[in-house]
Amino acid sequence: MDTDRALMRRVTRRDEAAFAEMVNRYAARLLAVAGRLLGSRPDAEDAVQRALLQCFAAASTYRPQWAVSTWLYRILTNICVDELRRRSTRAAHDQSLPIHRTPDGRHDSGAHLDLHRALERVPREARVLLALRYVDGLSYGELARIRGISVNTVKSQLARGKALLRAELSERGGRE
Amino acid sequence: MIEPSVPDRLDDLLTSYFQPGAAPAALASRIVRSARAADAALETLEQRLSIRATPRGVSLIRAGRGERPATAAARRLAERARAEIGEYLRGQRAFFSVPVDLSGAPPFQRRVLEAARQIPFGEGRPYAWVAERIGSPRAVRAVGTALGRNPVPLIVPCHRVWRTDGGLGGYLFGAQLKHRLLELERRTPVLEGCATTRIVCRVGCIHGRHMRPENRVVFASVQDAGSVGYRPCKVCKPSAAA
Repeated sequence: MDTDRALMRRVTRRDEAAFAEMVNRYAARLLAVAGRLLGSRPDAEDAVQRALLQCFAAASTYRPQWAVSTWLYRILTNICVDELRRRSTRAAHDQSLPIHRTPDGRHDSGAHLDLHRALERVPREARVLLALRYVDGLSYGELARIRGISVNTVKSQLARGKALLRAELSERGGRE
Repeated sequence: MIEPSVPDRLDDLLTSYFQPGAAPAALASRIVRSARAADAALETLEQRLSIRATPRGVSLIRAGRGERPATAAARRLAERARAEIGEYLRGQRAFFSVPVDLSGAPPFQRRVLEAARQIPFGEGRPYAWVAERIGSPRAVRAVGTALGRNPVPLIVPCHRVWRTDGGLGGYLFGAQLKHRLLELERRTPVLEGCATTRIVCRVGCIHGRHMRPENRVVFASVQDAGSVGYRPCKVCKPSAAA
């Protein structure tokens, strides 16, 4: 089996089989990140499709000093974050739009639903980092490269996000 | 009853919450198909445009051939507009900085066009929204007519106005192109930050142009960018946009 970088070299040469292999390797994880960030399955599939399309079309801009996963997650989070921006301006314009969306159609337990609601209270950049961290177990260094921030910022954002989650969840637990 | 406290469970809970599910089948072939069907319609539009300007701003954009602007200042503006439109159509620009000269338009139309300019990039509003915005809520049809005769399409984004029932409505360059433009805007991000300078710009800003792709990060708001240590650009002033 080719390594990610070898696979990417073939994708740069427009090798469709190599691209299909890469999609198989990453689609599920990309979809998990997008699904949890965007909250709806169709939006997530759309975002992943656009990210992979961009990766296929712009394969020549890939630099081998980057891990392929870092590059892919960078493209995907860029797309998701922009989609979230659109959604927030849309919601501000049209109050009737449901801001609180249900999770992406998978069967979620009560604990997951609580977590989903608590995550909505976490600032966007921290939420992006949490999703990347827990879907693929990415290191602080990789997270820093993906979002173009320093390792220390990654650490403080994650800690702050988790502290907020803890506070939200224990408050919810206390009420019930 | 004592339950395990939330802090201890949080890591496990997050891991199970973010557990990847199954990917849709045939995703790769779908993507390759749409990559092949890359669309040339926007490119042809760019080549077809004639742009007229006065020394105050761009005054007319139409398909077909036009006369050359008379003065050097006007010529410069027309060229700048052409360059900006080109970038916009290639998904490299999310705002126009070139001024427009609407002095030739009647007052009602000017008000309509000014209202349409307020619609953010990548979004849409119904004709009725524009009518309400200019204080003539019953003049929905007149709004449609005024937008249909928009002297400076693309720069004044009349394509972002659609029908209240969700229908696309007409467009000066054809309804299909209207659809394409809205799609294009959905694909183009609005705010990008540079990982080396830690500055966040509107896409299309002169500073963003020197950014290498590997340093480019998209942000949802200037506030988000600020929360991880990026400051807004002083040239394109992104706070005004998003």
